This record gives sequence, C-alpha cells and structure tokens, in this order.
Amino acid sequence: MRRQVPLVLCFLFGITMTIQYYVPSRFSEDLKSEVLNWGLIIGPFALVLAIATLVRLHYTRIQRRSENWPYSIVVFVGLIVMAVVGTVQGFTSQGISGGPFEWIFNNIQVPMDATMFALLAFFIASAAYRAFRARTLEATLLLVAALLVMFGNAPIGDLIWQKISPVRPNLPSEVRQWILDNPNLSSRRAIIMGISLGAISQSLRIILGIERSYLGGGE
Amino acid sequence: MIEKLMSLDRRYVFALVGLAVIIPTLLMIRFPIYVSQPTQNIYDFIEGLSEGEVVMIAFDYGPSSLAELNPMAIAVLRHCFRKRLRVIGMTLWPVGATLGDTLMREVAHEFDTTEGEDYVYLGYRPGVTNVLLQMGEDISAVFAEDYSGTPISEHPMMADVKNYNDIALVVDLAAGASVEGAWIPYTYTGYKQKIAAGVTGVIVSQLYPYLQTGQLVGLMPGLLGAAEYEKLIEQPGKGTAGMSAQSIVHLLVIVLVIVGNVAYFTTRRREQNAEVY
Amino acid sequence: MIQRFRDVGLPIGLALCWIILFSASTAWGQPAPPTHVEAVDTPNDTGNSITVRWQISPDDKAGAGVDGKMNVVGYHILRSDDPAGPFQLLQEVAGGITEFRDDDGMAGSPAYYYRVRAVDGAGETADSETVGPVKATSEWFHTGKVYILIAVLLYSAILVYCIYHARRGREFFVRRIAGLEAVDEAIGRATEMGRPILYTLGLGGISNIATIASLNILGEVAKRTAEYETPLRVPCYDPIVMNVVREVVRSSYSDAGRPDAYSEDNVFFITDSQFAYAAAVDGIMIREKPAAIFYQGHFYAESLILAETGNSVGAIQIAGTDSDAQLPFFITACDYTLIGEELFAASAYLSREPLIMGSLKGQDYGKALVLAALLVGTVLEIFGVHWVSTFFQAAS
Repeated sequence: MRRQVPLVLCFLFGITMTIQYYVPSRFSEDLKSEVLNWGLIIGPFALVLAIATLVRLHYTRIQRRSENWPYSIVVFVGLIVMAVVGTVQGFTSQGISGGPFEWIFNNIQVPMDATMFALLAFFIASAAYRAFRARTLEATLLLVAALLVMFGNAPIGDLIWQKISPVRPNLPSEVRQWILDNPNLSSRRAIIMGISLGAISQSLRIILGIERSYLGGGE
Repeated sequence: MIEKLMSLDRRYVFALVGLAVIIPTLLMIRFPIYVSQPTQNIYDFIEGLSEGEVVMIAFDYGPSSLAELNPMAIAVLRHCFRKRLRVIGMTLWPVGATLGDTLMREVAHEFDTTEGEDYVYLGYRPGVTNVLLQMGEDISAVFAEDYSGTPISEHPMMADVKNYNDIALVVDLAAGASVEGAWIPYTYTGYKQKIAAGVTGVIVSQLYPYLQTGQLVGLMPGLLGAAEYEKLIEQPGKGTAGMSAQSIVHLLVIVLVIVGNVAYFTTRRREQNAEVY
Repeated sequence: MIQRFRDVGLPIGLALCWIILFSASTAWGQPAPPTHVEAVDTPNDTGNSITVRWQISPDDKAGAGVDGKMNVVGYHILRSDDPAGPFQLLQEVAGGITEFRDDDGMAGSPAYYYRVRAVDGAGETADSETVGPVKATSEWFHTGKVYILIAVLLYSAILVYCIYHARRGREFFVRRIAGLEAVDEAIGRATEMGRPILYTLGLGGISNIATIASLNILGEVAKRTAEYETPLRVPCYDPIVMNVVREVVRSSYSDAGRPDAYSEDNVFFITDSQFAYAAAVDGIMIREKPAAIFYQGHFYAESLILAETGNSVGAIQIAGTDSDAQLPFFITACDYTLIGEELFAASAYLSREPLIMGSLKGQDYGKALVLAALLVGTVLEIFGVHWVSTFFQAAS
C-alpha cells in the first residue's frame, strides 16, 4: 500500500501533465499553475525536516566534542543570525532592501561565495596540468581544440598573433569562434539529443511504474 | 627533472595562477579587444530600439559569479540608460535579488534617471516556471510590489507595461541553467519573447545551439563578453581591466598543458626504451 | 460660346477643382489608411487575446513613404463591441508595425470590432475599414505541437514495444559501461581501506530527471555498501531530495538484509547555496578521506572544485551527469564518467531488470531514427532537396 499509492499518483499526474502540455486552454494552464504551486508548498515542509537534520548533526558533534567541533558552532551562529536579522527586518520594514540583512549579504556572503568560485581558476590549472594528456587520437584532438580556444579567448592571443603574422590580425579569435560555432555546436547537439531520448525513456519508465527505486522501500 | 615535473605539487601551480592574476591586475596592462559576433548582435539589437522601449534584465546569478557577470550587467545597463530605454530588473535566483537591486541603483545614478519612470527593480519571487508564465499574462500578478515594497501600480512606467508584449528584449545574465532551462522554454517558446544572454565562461559553450537556432538574439561569453560590450559602448570597466589577468592566466594554462604533455611523453619514451633494453 | 463653355468648361472646372482638392488632401490632409486589416482569435492560446494585423499605410515612412508626401508615424488600434461604434483607443503603436495582440480584458468578453487608424506627423488621421466581430476563445489542442506529439507517440510506442518483448523473456545485449563496472571495484576498495564512500547527487531538485537517475544508482550502491558494511555518506543540497534519499538508502539496507546498519545521520542536508555546499563537501573529503566518491546527478560550476579535491585525497572517483558543460571537468578529474544518457541507463545496467533493459533497447531504436533523419536530411540538402529541413522547421 505504501508503494501503490505513490505509484498511482505518479501515473495519474504524469499522464495528466503530459496531456496538459498539448492543451492550451485556460483550465489546462490553471491546472499547471496549481500543480506547480503545490510543489512550492511542499518545499518549506521538506526544508524544516532538512534543517532539523542539520541541527541534530551539529548539536551531536558539539555534545560529543567530535573532531573539528568548533566549526559546528559557526554553523549555528550563521543559521541563527541570518534567520533572526531577516525575520526582524521583514517585520519592521518594507522588503529586505538595505539594512543589516543586505550589509551581511554584501560583506560576508558575497566575498565568501566569490572566493569559492574563484577556486575554479586554480583547479582548472592544476587539472589541466595533471590530467590533460594527448594519450589517444581523440584526446589529442580535444587538447588541440582546447588550446586554440584558450588562445583565442583572451585578447593576448590576437596580440601575439599580430606580432607573428601580418595577415588576419584576429585569427586566434576567429578560430576560437569557428570551433565554438561548428565542432562544439554539433557535439553539444549530439549530447543533447542522447540526453533527451534518455530522459523521455526514463520518464516513461517512472510514469508506468517500471522504475520505482526512487520511491524507497516498504511494500 | 622530468620526474619532478610529472609529480609537481599542485600548490606550485596554484601559486603560479595567483601570481598570474595579481601581477597583471596591479600593472593594469590593457589589451586590444576583438568583438565577437554574438556580443555584437546584442549591442546592435539594443542600439536599434527607440527611446522609451522596455528592456528587462534578469540577474540570474549569485555572489559567486558576480565578478564575471556584474561588469556585463553594468555595460548593458549603461547602454540602455544612455539610449533612454526603460529598464525592468528582476531575478529568478533568491541570492540575485540584493545584487540586482544594488547594481541597478548604482548605474541608474550615473544617468539622469528616476526610479519608477526610467527603471523598476522587481526582485525575486519563488517558482521559476510560474513566474515566467504569469509574466506572459500580467507582470503585476506576480510582482504586485517591487523589491522595496512599493506597489508597482505606483510606478508610472509600469502603466503601459503589462506583459512580454510590451518588452522589447529580455537580457538574462546567468550563472546557471536559467537561459536554456527557463527563459527559452517558457518565455521564448511560449510568448516569442526576444532573449539575449550573458553567461559565465564555464557554461557559455552549452548555449551555442540556441544561438544558431535564433532562440537567442546574442550571447556574451563570461568576462570577455563584458569587455567586448564595454568596447562597444566605448566605456571601459572591470571587464576590460580583467582581460589582462585573464590573458596571462590563459597563457599560463596553455604553457602548463604543454609542459605537462612534454614531461608525460618524455617519461613514456624513457620507459619504452627501458623495456627494449 | 457661353453655352459651349457651360457644356465643356463646367465639367472641366469641376474636375480641376476635384483634382486640386484631392491633391491638397493627400498633400496636407489625411494620410492613407492601413490596408488588409484583419482581426483573428489568437491561435493556441488560453482564450485571452485577439490578434489584429494590417498592412502599413502607403504613407508610412517605414514603407519608404511611397511618394514622400506623407509621414505616417504610428497607428492607433481602436476597439468596440458594436460595429457602429463608438470605438475606443486601445493602444498606440509605432509606424512600421503590422501586428498587435489585444489581451485587454478578454475573460468573458463579448465579440469585438476593430479599426486601425493611421496617424501622421501633423496629427492627421485615417481609419481603416471596420473588421470583426471576433471573440477570443481557447483551444483544446495546440496545433503547433502536433509534430511533437507524433514524435513522442512514435518513440513511446517503440519503448513500450521493447518493454513488452523484454517482459516475454527476450534477452538484450547492453554494451559495457566502464564507469558502472567500476562501482564494485570502488566499493571493494573502500571496504579494504576501511574508509567511507561519499555519494553526492549534485544540485538538481527532485523534479530533475538526472536526480531521479542518480537515486536509482544510489539505491544499487547502497545495497552493496550494506552488504560490505562500508559507511555511505550522502550530503544533500536539496531538502526534498534529502528526504527521498533517506527512504532510498533505508530501503536498500533493508533489501540487503542489513536494516540495522542504516544510520540516518549518514544522509544529511547541508545547504542550498551552491558554493557553500561545495565548500562543505570539500571539507568532508579533506577530513574523512573517503576511498570512493560518486558524483551522480546535475552539476554546475562546482563540479571541478569537488572533483579536484576528491582527486587530491586519492579517492577513486565515478562521475555521471547530464550537465554537458561539466562533462569535460569530470572527464579530466575523475577515473570514470558516465556521459549524458549513460547516467539514465545506469539503473538498468546495475539492476539488470529486464523491463528497464527493454526500454534501453527502445532508446537505441529512437536514436537510430534520429540518426536516419539527420543522414537523409543532410544528403538531400546537399543535392538541393529541401523538404526534410522544411518539414522539421515547420515542426519546430
């Protein structure tokens, strides 16, 4: 029973929403909007459960003085401060534009998030040095294409080229654009087609109840 | 030597990247910028609009990608305000709400603009699909108030802006899948709304299929796209400044890949020779 | 003579006056109205609009002004529910525009009549003929999607056919997928080293098809970790996904006969902030040094930050994603990568469930159809035959 009900619901909603895609009437659009709103309503309930797990995990860590437990205090400080400031400001002023919430956002979250994203540049360099090897013909083609795109992707590529050759001063940029417009475009399309067919197949399996491991256990 | 190169600690690579960013930034080296066609297309489209037409800018990114996308947003906003176009700002990302608000005000203050007449910042509402579909019918049904809580009916510019019919172009500045996952399937497909995109360098290549099919008017690629747009509006900013660091880091990565491969092949040849003898 | 003048001169005089008056009217008076005006119920909408189309006035400057005498700068769209009027101004549009979608108060509205009024620079106007009545109605089938429907039905029929045959016991061959072959190796390695396994489902929500595929793989991985008694850690980005993950892992431990080994603390929520999540998962990798790491699902720019950190702790890494922009990062930094559709095939491959295997075969037939269309279209296009590309353009 625990499995049958979700399977029936999944089948009914799956079929209904598939048909909805082809029906442009007002009723159909309202139905879609309603279902999407239900999804939004479920979200906060799940969030409460999720935050409860987070609190429990870090509370246990502090209680047991597990390794690196002081970091768990940082989690609580962040959680409480942002929630309290956001809520208080939400009740006392119109919107959350300006004020301490925006200050914390701009001066703490912005630099921290930007720092994490900036790590990508370091990791790209280390990964390229460590693993980008011309081991096979395919890997060599990939490597040559990557080098050409990188060379054309920064203005210095054109500048170096202009020192070497008097013809076509923007050749590196043009080559980069050609690679993006042609080989890149066609391979992306091939991957998108494969993914789309796979996604339709998986959706059908879920709607028909063939694929059901996502439902978890229990009969 | 070669063995050392092969097993080089990644921290040396990190240090080199750090230097390749810091030194050119401090020296403020400038490079000539070549404008790619997809960026030129966005500029041409906005340039072709008449005074008073409406452009919507979606700040669909968070603090992490602000370094790449803020310069783009600034350049496009400057172009719009300079042409006396009216601008609506909004975001599909909760963390993009504050960013967009701050940025729009900053750029608007550079020009002779009035909030509510020349620009409105709507902020964020949850539920991506519903937000985009409902804006196709009536923007005020989704955004009854703007980001600072003022009813949008009190903004004079919104009197004749009801839905996408009254918007000439949507510029989506995105760090995630909002272009191909939201704006194109719902706003372009459903309402034939013209859409242009500016995205982080990491995801730019995946949007080329949409450019070729005409689902996107144009595409700005990462910080380079910002620099290109700054060149077009003849007002260099952080995008242009960032090109020096980007150039040197790109060169460094190219050198690293070549050195890594030379070391790899040298080691492999030695191993093969050792096997023969 | 006088009589003759009366006979001939009067008509000539009148004609001259008429010509002069007409010329004056076209030179300084009314502009020519727009022509071919039509108002139609907008097709394939929710019944909330009527589309008005017209051909620009011969005096529209967008039409090169024809004789250069006039300068029509815009049009007014007028609407009334009575053909005799009065007509109310609905919208002003610029010159050169030939279409307007009226979506003003259409719900439960009567049929409407429309006129399009040309307006020149001097404020002179000329109305078109009245068109209508037109009523906005909604349709029950989107005619623009008929080709999509046919393609989906065809593909679904192939899938159902293959599933049906699989049900009757037909064996299907599935090529070797190295990334999935390595699952046992990775779990075995973690068991030998006495270290945990880390599994991340990326940043996709529960409605993301890659997340569901990842849940299916997780179910199989969890069964094996339960058998080997290897700790499985699953940090989650999405609250709903976290709750489903708990059910999936609990179920797998039960199926493996080890419900006691399941601990809820091993499946936990971190944050729904992209890079805070990446930082937290990196922290777990550095502190716990997992022997195997699975990245299965939908990823964004954090992919390489995770995979390079995983590599630095010496873990065997198996990635799988439908995020095509992240594939190069995973391929470079991980030991095995499931590319796009391989992720969706994974649950069939791991579970060897005949029905799911059948759908994989159907997927291949679908791909063959797409390939055939591409090949035929390309060849015909080369030889100047355009009907295939025209058909697909119309279908899109």
